[in-house]
Amino acid sequence: MMLLKSLRSSGTSRSVLLLRCAGSLRNAIKFDYDLVVLGGGSGGLACAKEAVAYGARVLCLDYVKPTPAGTKWGVGGTCVNVGCIPKKLMHQASLLGEAVHEAVAYGWNVDDRDIKPDWKKLVKVVQNHIKSVNWVTRVDLRDKKVEYVNSIGSFVDPHTIQYKTKQGELKQLTAQYVVIAVGGRPRYPPIKGAFELGITSDDIFSYEKEPGRTLVVGAGYVGLECACFLKGLGYDPTVMVRSIVLRGFDRQMSEFLAAMMTERGIRFLNTTIPMGVDRTPEGKLLVQYRNTTTQTDESDVFDTVLWAIGRKGLIGDLNLGAAGVQTYNDKVIVDHTEATNVPHIFAVGDIIYGRPELTPVAILAGRLLARRLFAGSTQLMDYTDVATTVFTPLEYSCVGMSEEMAIERLGADNIEVFHGYYKPTEFFIPQKSFRHCYLKVVAELSGDQKILGLHYIGPVAGEVIQGFAAALKSGLTVKTLLNTVGIHPTTAEEFTRLSVTKRSGVDPTPASCCS
Amino acid sequence: MANLLENVARQVRNNQRAFSVTPKRREIFKVQSPEEFDKKVKNSQEPVIVDFFATWCNPCKLLTPRIESIVGEQAGSIKLAKVDIDEHSELALDYDVGAVPVLVIMQNGKEVQRMVGLQDEDKIRAWVATAVKNAKQ
Repeated sequence: MMLLKSLRSSGTSRSVLLLRCAGSLRNAIKFDYDLVVLGGGSGGLACAKEAVAYGARVLCLDYVKPTPAGTKWGVGGTCVNVGCIPKKLMHQASLLGEAVHEAVAYGWNVDDRDIKPDWKKLVKVVQNHIKSVNWVTRVDLRDKKVEYVNSIGSFVDPHTIQYKTKQGELKQLTAQYVVIAVGGRPRYPPIKGAFELGITSDDIFSYEKEPGRTLVVGAGYVGLECACFLKGLGYDPTVMVRSIVLRGFDRQMSEFLAAMMTERGIRFLNTTIPMGVDRTPEGKLLVQYRNTTTQTDESDVFDTVLWAIGRKGLIGDLNLGAAGVQTYNDKVIVDHTEATNVPHIFAVGDIIYGRPELTPVAILAGRLLARRLFAGSTQLMDYTDVATTVFTPLEYSCVGMSEEMAIERLGADNIEVFHGYYKPTEFFIPQKSFRHCYLKVVAELSGDQKILGLHYIGPVAGEVIQGFAAALKSGLTVKTLLNTVGIHPTTAEEFTRLSVTKRSGVDPTPASCCS
Repeated sequence: MANLLENVARQVRNNQRAFSVTPKRREIFKVQSPEEFDKKVKNSQEPVIVDFFATWCNPCKLLTPRIESIVGEQAGSIKLAKVDIDEHSELALDYDVGAVPVLVIMQNGKEVQRMVGLQDEDKIRAWVATAVKNAKQ
């Protein structure tokens, strides 16, 4: 029996195997599946694949409703199709454009006047990669024996899921456990022309026409990242900010990032909200907007309008009422074990209320949940000190507390902030601006000074911060950090060279490197 | 002769005669449905090479013209069925397609052998020739 074989290979003792086998048989009589996962994205797939490794019978349902503009995509979820992956690829494309100019400074005889991106080619190669990942995902599901259905699953009762086949037939099945991992989709503003004339991050990565002069409405990381790669590719983006940039992130670092973008020529419309969109006779988009500070109304014409005003959870199609699952706004409420108010129904990923909406969070939470359900594990997901990166041309990465959170929790008198500007070696020759190359460490004031948060703006910020995230989790102190020998010449080593505190008032600008 | 050409040209212009460059169209075809696969591949008298490809796969783009010309050289003793794995995912998964391109030789409804990945033209030609020879035995 396949179940026995996979249980045996997991290294469990014979008696446990027999117990589990009996348990599974009991369930086999009671339920069609041990686990049904609603959603085939980062969290759902990780949970499903981990569960089968422990012998569970798993079904995964995934479906993508087309955007108003008609965009669709395959299995894998937001990250693979319209999130992290295409975003990083387009970010890379825009950085490479910059690199061509820098190459000239380093002696390459490239003609860098008037270099242009081939948007259609970029979209094609990005989409080709995504489709190859879709295929690999399908093969992986089949190889790992996760049943996959391309349809929306909804609740009939707490243990029963129904879905419609491609032929229109309604099918029902029962599950011992259900994991809701349906994620979210971008919001549209409740204004005229929003659906018909605007696009979102769901559409931009496969957009058939060149974006041209683009209005990005929203200043979270989606909006900022999109504006930045569009700028890097030579288009003309404007960012419309309702109140502040990067809500929830360290204020000082967020303002630095916005200043870095302004220095690169990205226009910001601050304290402004959109009022409506119309099509002009020439086929462009006329956007009416209001500056809420000055209370003045204005308008401007764009080729593309991209809404990046936030994302909503996809609880609408699940018929959660039939299962009795409680929600808040459009998200599912879970406890520290990812359980909803219904004991056998769980949720992971972007759909859960109050947790970071990040792929690695969903993946780890999904895997740990599967282990608790099917492998007798007790390990819970730790949602604290999750490192993140904003992929703007100078990237911003951070782990742990923001400065204001540390002040709020410990008091300004009990924390020390070390900070410094730095000058990456590679920037000198092409005369790249290092005005916003800055980092800071927020730590406790006393003793060995336990580090509460690290913040970095600069090249390859994600690569720099990743190791420090592990260090922070291990209890990194300022004492250890400053006794760590840096790798030279890198930008990451600047963390080991920090010496100026905010409290001292000393100018944190370095004179030159190596001293 | 000139008259003949003139007639053909006129008919082609008026869309009355389809002018095909590939002389034997029927031995190379793109599978449109699982039913067509059953009929033309599994129930084929001659051996069939199934070319599992994907539109997003660069080696596939290089392989397909190579295998088409090699099959053309065989003058009907072996056929070529092209399957887009995104259009026919279930079929591709049934045949254990992982990485693409994959060429699967089918005879009497069963898989005889397969070749995974892009190969040199000579290697493919030798492989196809052997398959044709084995089929005739």
